[in-house]
Amino acid sequence: MTNLKYRFLLIAGLVVASVWALWPRTVIERVKRDGVFVYDTVRRVPLKKGLDLQGGMYLALEIDESRGAVANKPDALDRALKVVRTRIDEFGVSEPVVQKVGDDRIIVELPGIDDPERAEQVVQKSAFLQFMITDESNALERALPRLDQIARDVGGPTSSGALGDTARSTVSGLEKLFTPDTAAKAADTTKSDSAAPAIPPTGGPISSLLQRGDMPGEFYITAANVPRAEYFFSLPQIQQAMPPGKTIRWGADTLSIGGTVYRTLYVLDAREILNGEWIQDAKPNNTPIDGTVVEFQLNNEGGRRFRTETAKHIQDYMAIVLDDRVMGRPPVIQSAIGTRGQITLGRRDLQQAQDLALVLRAGALPVPLKIAEVRNIGASLGQDSINRGTRAIAIAVAAVIVIMLLYYRFSGLLAVGALILFVLYTLAVLAGFNAVLTLPGLAGLVLSVGMAVDANVLIFERIREELARGKTVRTAIDEGFHHALSAIVDTSVTTILTAAVLYQYGTGPVRGFAVTLIAGIAASLFAAVFITRTFYLAWLSRTRGAQALSI
Amino acid sequence: MFRILHDTRFDFIKWWRHAAILTVAFIVLGLGSFALTGGLNLSIEFTGGTLVQVRFAQPPDPAELRSTIGNAEITQFGDPTEYTLRIQSAEAIAEQASAAEGVAKQVEASLRDRYGDGFTIERTEAVGPKVGAELARGAVIAMFLAALVTLAYLAFRFEWRFGLAAVLSTAHDVLVTMAFIKLAQIEVSLTVVAAILTLLGYSGNDTIIIFDRVRENLKKARKEPLYDTLNRSINETLPRSVLTHATTLAATLALLIFAGEVLRPFAWVMTFGVFVATFSSIYVASPILLYIERQFPRKDATGKGLQVSASAARAESQAESAPRPVRGSKAPAGRR
Repeated sequence: MTNLKYRFLLIAGLVVASVWALWPRTVIERVKRDGVFVYDTVRRVPLKKGLDLQGGMYLALEIDESRGAVANKPDALDRALKVVRTRIDEFGVSEPVVQKVGDDRIIVELPGIDDPERAEQVVQKSAFLQFMITDESNALERALPRLDQIARDVGGPTSSGALGDTARSTVSGLEKLFTPDTAAKAADTTKSDSAAPAIPPTGGPISSLLQRGDMPGEFYITAANVPRAEYFFSLPQIQQAMPPGKTIRWGADTLSIGGTVYRTLYVLDAREILNGEWIQDAKPNNTPIDGTVVEFQLNNEGGRRFRTETAKHIQDYMAIVLDDRVMGRPPVIQSAIGTRGQITLGRRDLQQAQDLALVLRAGALPVPLKIAEVRNIGASLGQDSINRGTRAIAIAVAAVIVIMLLYYRFSGLLAVGALILFVLYTLAVLAGFNAVLTLPGLAGLVLSVGMAVDANVLIFERIREELARGKTVRTAIDEGFHHALSAIVDTSVTTILTAAVLYQYGTGPVRGFAVTLIAGIAASLFAAVFITRTFYLAWLSRTRGAQALSI
Repeated sequence: MFRILHDTRFDFIKWWRHAAILTVAFIVLGLGSFALTGGLNLSIEFTGGTLVQVRFAQPPDPAELRSTIGNAEITQFGDPTEYTLRIQSAEAIAEQASAAEGVAKQVEASLRDRYGDGFTIERTEAVGPKVGAELARGAVIAMFLAALVTLAYLAFRFEWRFGLAAVLSTAHDVLVTMAFIKLAQIEVSLTVVAAILTLLGYSGNDTIIIFDRVRENLKKARKEPLYDTLNRSINETLPRSVLTHATTLAATLALLIFAGEVLRPFAWVMTFGVFVATFSSIYVASPILLYIERQFPRKDATGKGLQVSASAARAESQAESAPRPVRGSKAPAGRR
């Protein structure tokens, strides 16, 4: 019977295609070997596991507008996306996902990552590098009386609650700290700036916080006073009264002199002489003198500009400002600098230097990004989910098989055969569409196993009815399939419509659920209507004119 | 041939009043619970907030854990060493508007202070309020859209009376499921929303299969009152219902028992769904269809209305009698 032959050919063809789709294949992939990511060939089944199954990190990033509105957000986000993608590609994860969702969000998926904090750093760091000259004109000192007056009018942050308890309690101890520390510092100082006028010893609210540093434009503030200083410098009135053409930046490091911990504050010329846009390459290094550094190289155009600018500033101090923090102590410019330079990280470890080099190479983020959503799933939890999920599937399938065999006997056996092919096809479809298997996806698979038999049950019950009406076996089977079809199609279509809506409005794991549900229903439609029927036809042609059907 | 519930003649529809009282009571109970104890227990995905799942080396003292993480809702999660800490307070969420991960880091720091290295963080979820609100809106849209799409399809495949009855029965399913989720105190996450939508689809399927049979029986026996046609159709599809619900129940129970803590809410909703589907297609969709037919009688080709009202009158008069076969004989009349 040729018709039957074609039917079996189709089924067998699909089985071959499914097995091929699911066969472990060799792919080139970034894998972790001895703690480092390298490209290597691995053999694996081409079924992708979602983050909830293999562990990893999910980040949703948005443009952070808390420090000023961003013009042309879509464009900014596109540029940010490019930067984040470059950084993540270099960061070293196998199969990362970086994509834009909607108009205002970037999502990042990092499977198998075990150091989420570092990943957040790499993704979020603006990496905006600037080279700026420290102020030589004592601009801040000259402005201090004016600033003190404003600060006096505004009043300290004592009652506003803007500061923590530590800041408030240390204010009284200020005078006591002031004199001995200056003496200690003076002993340390190698370069002194005699031209600078002394800070009025009586001390206004701001000037009493500041101690002159070693180089022009540098000030020390004891760690305890930092919140108070930050408060004053963040006041709009103070910002307006700041000397024009100058800007202030905090140092990244703390400084310990005579047992007291200080932060540094720099007054800089607001005009940068160069920024990180021109960086061509950056790599971490460990030097005996400066500790951990990142050495960078500018491209030709950047080098030319840098040379011209630095030539104008011989003997000045140049601050390297990364994300509004001055890195290391500003070095003095001995001669015009060309294409090479370094950023001093001091006591920080090499890992941080690596990450900084990475973000410098990838370029600065055009806009600050904030994390709107983060999910971290440990790898062990993922494995646990897989184990439990597979066990649940195995038990569900076993239970369904037992029920079908007990109730429908021979016909049940045919249905079980179709069910096994159904599972194979479903997995193949998932692999074919590059779908991601998630925990809810596994649940969807279990459910579709339960529902896949529904079509068979509908058909079998229909055949039984037809047999009870005295139809012959062959007619009963034909009629059974014919009459059950409309109900099967209607139920399948409505479920697929629901799943499609879920896919449209769901996120990660729920999408996985919708996809497995759709794949499952499509496969079950084929399995029940086509495969079971073919089995029946084969059985009928072997037992010509069978009088009884085990159903 | 091993058959269960074969050739039954139960008068299902007769019990619709009892069924209605039962389901309305359940819904009222659920709504009352809403009124008394506030809305659904929404997961951080919808409200914003932070969830940290921690595995301790030693089972910690819950009271001590509570004092370490003051503002968290602390739940044991499976093993005695596993806990989830959920922080959903308004202040915490507001704090997460600028950086979602902030609260999670504070939690980790507090745990580190108290337990040193005696714990591992297995899972962290931190959702800013904006993302949460968007997800919640997406879920609501998904529900409505799914119902709308189903209605459109049913109206296209069946006639509008069937479609309307199916959709009203779906609305009933939503209410009952909400009541169940509220009463069972299940946390509504995105996965649970997926379960609700699947439940609606599954229950809709059940209704479709009965209506499909009604449609077929209406073509065959035009003189038969719809009341009897409905009963006959339910009885004829009864073996299928039992078998399908049994296999689906096997699957959902497997999930419930073996798939672990994360999928448990999903599995609960689906298990409940199997019963809702059975109940609503027989006792909600069918009586509603009957009611619609009575209000808007259909005309068949000969212009005669179906005998809806006659059967309804008979149903009233027989309401007190015990369940009994609709027809005495065992063989389906006029089918042999």
